Amino acid sequence: MIQLYNVCKSYQKDSSAALHNLNLKIPKGDFVYITGPSGAGKSTLLKLLYCAEKPNRGQILVNGQNITRMGTGRIPYLRRRTGIVFQDFKLLESRTLFENVAFPLEVQGKKRYEISNKVYQTLKHVGLHGKLHKYPLQLSGGEQQRVAIARALVIDPLILLADEPTGNLDLEVTLGIFDLFKGANARGTTVLLATHNREMIRRFPRRVIALDKGQLVDDFTP
Amino acid sequence: MFDQTVYLTRCVLRNIRQSPVLSSAAIGTVAVALTILAFFALIVINVQSLAAHWSEEIQVVAYLDDEPQSTRLNDWRKLIVNMPEVARVSYVDREEALRRFSTRLGPDSDLLEGFGADILPASLEISFKAEHRSRQAAEAVVARLKQNPEFSDFSYGQDWLERFESFLDMLRFGGAVLGAFLLFAALFIVANTIKLTLYARRDELEIMALVGATPFFIKTPFLLEGAFHGAMGALIALGGSFALFQVFLQRGLASLLSLSGGGQIVFLAWQQQLLLIATGILLGIIGSVLSLRKFVRI
Repeated sequence: MIQLYNVCKSYQKDSSAALHNLNLKIPKGDFVYITGPSGAGKSTLLKLLYCAEKPNRGQILVNGQNITRMGTGRIPYLRRRTGIVFQDFKLLESRTLFENVAFPLEVQGKKRYEISNKVYQTLKHVGLHGKLHKYPLQLSGGEQQRVAIARALVIDPLILLADEPTGNLDLEVTLGIFDLFKGANARGTTVLLATHNREMIRRFPRRVIALDKGQLVDDFTP
Repeated sequence: MFDQTVYLTRCVLRNIRQSPVLSSAAIGTVAVALTILAFFALIVINVQSLAAHWSEEIQVVAYLDDEPQSTRLNDWRKLIVNMPEVARVSYVDREEALRRFSTRLGPDSDLLEGFGADILPASLEISFKAEHRSRQAAEAVVARLKQNPEFSDFSYGQDWLERFESFLDMLRFGGAVLGAFLLFAALFIVANTIKLTLYARRDELEIMALVGATPFFIKTPFLLEGAFHGAMGALIALGGSFALFQVFLQRGLASLLSLSGGGQIVFLAWQQQLLLIATGILLGIIGSVLSLRKFVRI
């Protein structure tokens, strides 16, 4: 599903590499934690996978497609099969929950009845179908992250990328959020989750890819 | 397709609703720039029609020292009519000249009592073909006639025509420079206004790109918004320039035109009104394109 060959990325010519000679293979349907201290290269790895950044060297294959050679015009179509969740949620505050979750489908030009149905089902799945017309700032942090996950899941993604999705949330809320990721993975989505949270790795043991200073230092399944 | 159109329309309306001040600023800027432009265009168009009217009346009067014999007169007539620029030649003898002068003096015509017809010279009035009604054509004909010493003097309002033509050139040049400057200023302000709205919505642009929106999809609502601002600005400019036309131009220019027998002064023709609206729309779209280049990155 995801293959990286000798991938190097540095943001400035003379600075140290954010990723250095990284080689990885992540099969379809896998659930992978990407761990490591701040500055280890976790976010950079995810950014390379959704083409927000290009590697300086190396090749990245996603679903058999070499995304390092992909033209700018093709990137939106890659992202339409990739769900992305951020620590700071990145919700549109001026739009309701329904509108936020409907956004990726509108972008894809789906029909209105199709959008309504799918958005309702997804919000129901994350337990927020009773707050369709609320605005993000009327919700708690945990609820906002659920909306962000719903927005990522509404497109039935092949890959779900989550960058510190529970960084600002307490344990109880975090457990609920992890259930959503596990559910998505159970339905066949490949999940890559960048996290510091060792407690979660202990509770839900899955494959762990550990990075440090841009290098792969460990790759194991507990 | 229909859903996309509905979505884009909703986006545009929402954007405008969410930033009414910025939208008003963009519309206002386009409106002011285009009103001044339209006002200037109205002056140029009407003065030009006046100039065209005057140039239709251009004719050369060749004064003769003595009244010619009829055979000589016929020779001259033939010679002049055969010139490529000339449409018609008519002879005005001394009696006719005095009669015209007397008519022109009106109630003061009694001043001419006691004078004979010999106080005024006979003349040949030379009219031009439509395509040769210009100062240059008049000068060319005069240059040829001057070779004949029997013509004592020529009159075709040369100094006045020269001055009027250079005034018209200056007006056109001034209009073009002012127009270009105003359009550029409007473009700059519209582009910056749209840049502000884009800056206010940079999160939305980022999220759009992250969920797989194509650059076309991201840019289209902003381009439509720019076009809307431009069209609204142009419509207001049309109204504004019509008001200025009614209040100032119609009175000011009408007296000038009626004095010169130049006919009615006119507002912009419908084609020119459409051109003004198209200019507004184009202004809005170009302003948006200039701003979007910096903000939309996939």
